[in-house]
Amino acid sequence: MVGPYIIRRLLQAIPLLFGISIIIFLMLQMAPGGPLASGEAQAAITPEQIERLRGHYGLDDPLPVQYLNWVGGIVTGDWGTSYDTGQPVLKAIGERLPTTLVLTGLAFVVSLLIAIPVGVLAATRQYSAFDYASTGLSFAGIATPSFWFGLMLLYVFSFQLDLLPSSGLTDLRVEHTGLADLWDRTQHLIMPVAVLALIATANLTRYIRSSMLEVLGQDYVRTARGSGLPERRVILQHAGKNASIPVVTIAMLMVPDLFLGAVITETIFSIPGMGALFVHSAELRDYPVLLGILIIAALLVVVTNLATDVIYGFLDPRISYE
Amino acid sequence: MSEVRLPPEPLGGSEPLGGPDLPGGGDSPGGGELAGESARSLTAQTWRQFRRHRLAVGGLVILGLLTVAVILGPWLIPFDPNRIEASTANLGPSLTHLMGTDELGRDQLARILVGGRLTLSVSAAAVLVALIAGVAVGAVAGYAGGFIDNVLMRVVDIFYALPGLFIVILLVALIGPSYWTIVIAIAVLSWMNTARLVRSSFLSLKEKEFVEAARTVGASDVGIVVRHILPNALSPVIVAATLGVANAILIESALSFLGLGFQPPEATWGGLLSDAKSSVVITGHWWRGLFPGLMIFITVLSANFIGDGLRDALDPRSAGIKKG
Repeated sequence: MVGPYIIRRLLQAIPLLFGISIIIFLMLQMAPGGPLASGEAQAAITPEQIERLRGHYGLDDPLPVQYLNWVGGIVTGDWGTSYDTGQPVLKAIGERLPTTLVLTGLAFVVSLLIAIPVGVLAATRQYSAFDYASTGLSFAGIATPSFWFGLMLLYVFSFQLDLLPSSGLTDLRVEHTGLADLWDRTQHLIMPVAVLALIATANLTRYIRSSMLEVLGQDYVRTARGSGLPERRVILQHAGKNASIPVVTIAMLMVPDLFLGAVITETIFSIPGMGALFVHSAELRDYPVLLGILIIAALLVVVTNLATDVIYGFLDPRISYE
Repeated sequence: MSEVRLPPEPLGGSEPLGGPDLPGGGDSPGGGELAGESARSLTAQTWRQFRRHRLAVGGLVILGLLTVAVILGPWLIPFDPNRIEASTANLGPSLTHLMGTDELGRDQLARILVGGRLTLSVSAAAVLVALIAGVAVGAVAGYAGGFIDNVLMRVVDIFYALPGLFIVILLVALIGPSYWTIVIAIAVLSWMNTARLVRSSFLSLKEKEFVEAARTVGASDVGIVVRHILPNALSPVIVAATLGVANAILIESALSFLGLGFQPPEATWGGLLSDAKSSVVITGHWWRGLFPGLMIFITVLSANFIGDGLRDALDPRSAGIKKG
């Protein structure tokens, strides 16, 4: 019965998205003086020009009309143009989105690759030195501000050791091709991915450890051990499979956090992604771009939640779709 | 160390437990509305549990010391945090300048102490605002139930789905980075957890006999909510609030780091890190980056430990799992 379930969840997501869009739209109205206030203050434009601009952007319409026009545009693919560059919003986002998605994806994979073995090992050797060390480190990781971690990495690996480049995505001075290009890009991504993955790794390690501990105490694990199965199989097949159910939920819910966290990572390492574009647009009050990025981010949150529910259903046969 | 006191723990009188009074802090403000003896001894019980959690006690001590330091410190050290002095520019840590100086010759310890005032007070205020909003929404939803509950919980869902950090950036950039803008922007993204916790406590508590009894003797709805249900629903909220402080500090610092929070010469820990970037990466003045971040790290770690300790102390079921 998975099909109808997915459709029903999709339908539930629509009012949620409407709610989000209304709140975001209302927040934008809170700027004192309205959307053109900063332009009025900075540039020497005449009141008549502002009048024209207001008319051009439809800012004189009543709020509900403005909202409906905007939502209608989003649905039909007309996301407006940037006040700053005049570029269509979808195009501006399209240029930046892949960078941020690559960063987010890599950080997600890295945090899973570290957290799963460490968490499982810590749980199977509870109270060992390894367990204490990994628990201590994950506590520290959760409390570490990512921009501080990034700054310290930059000091060690860029300033002191001169091993890794401090900013950007590629070396702009030299044109690389083939393997050299790949190596160049990898070098540029090592620190940003490490910084972005830090908190997710620390959180995941803790969840995996406690989820694993809970499962290892269950009767069916004792039964599996008692029936003479090798410890490896007990842990990986019997315990691991069941422990993975809550972990998948937590891990999936971290994807939006990683995506949002990329704002900070991109700022530290001067990477031209969505986060950097968002901060830049916020400083300029470039409303169409801000709205566009917020919609993309909200979509990502809603889609991940949906995907989490569906995956959860596949993993746990006890979930009913009724 | 009477500066920081364990928040009053109004666990209700459902399990009468004995025990000595909380040493030196039994009549903490806010505990006043609790009904007498049993609540007090429960506070003591909680405190006894809490004291066993060594990391949590350590966190409480450190956070207490830090609070005292940022309140009194700026008066005690002989440097003005905003005084520009070319002769002392870019000095590394020494006995005179324990945390070094910046490119304008300002003493970094002095800037960290005044910065801590802003960072800590903004975070505490944001948590307080979020707490009030969350308790109000949760109480109304849980007590009223039905249609109102449904609507309020959908609103909570929507706020959960908002892209958090982006919204904070947006609000602060649009309205301008004043103290209260930052407080509200952080609070807007942090009240939902409290609302859900309070709502679910209310849903179960309002069916209890003691609420029925209060109603029978003619207590008003407001009276029942404020005097009878709320005190019993607060313990998960206190844990959430403690962890919320850690979160608020991280958000405020991130905002300042992005250059969107408090503007110079106003110092915050995140702002100091933001200013330090080129000094650290280009000229290698490591102390500019190390110390402000260390302050954030220690504070957040302490708050997390306290939250963990409180959770174990307030919820006996979790104690077994968390140890280790």
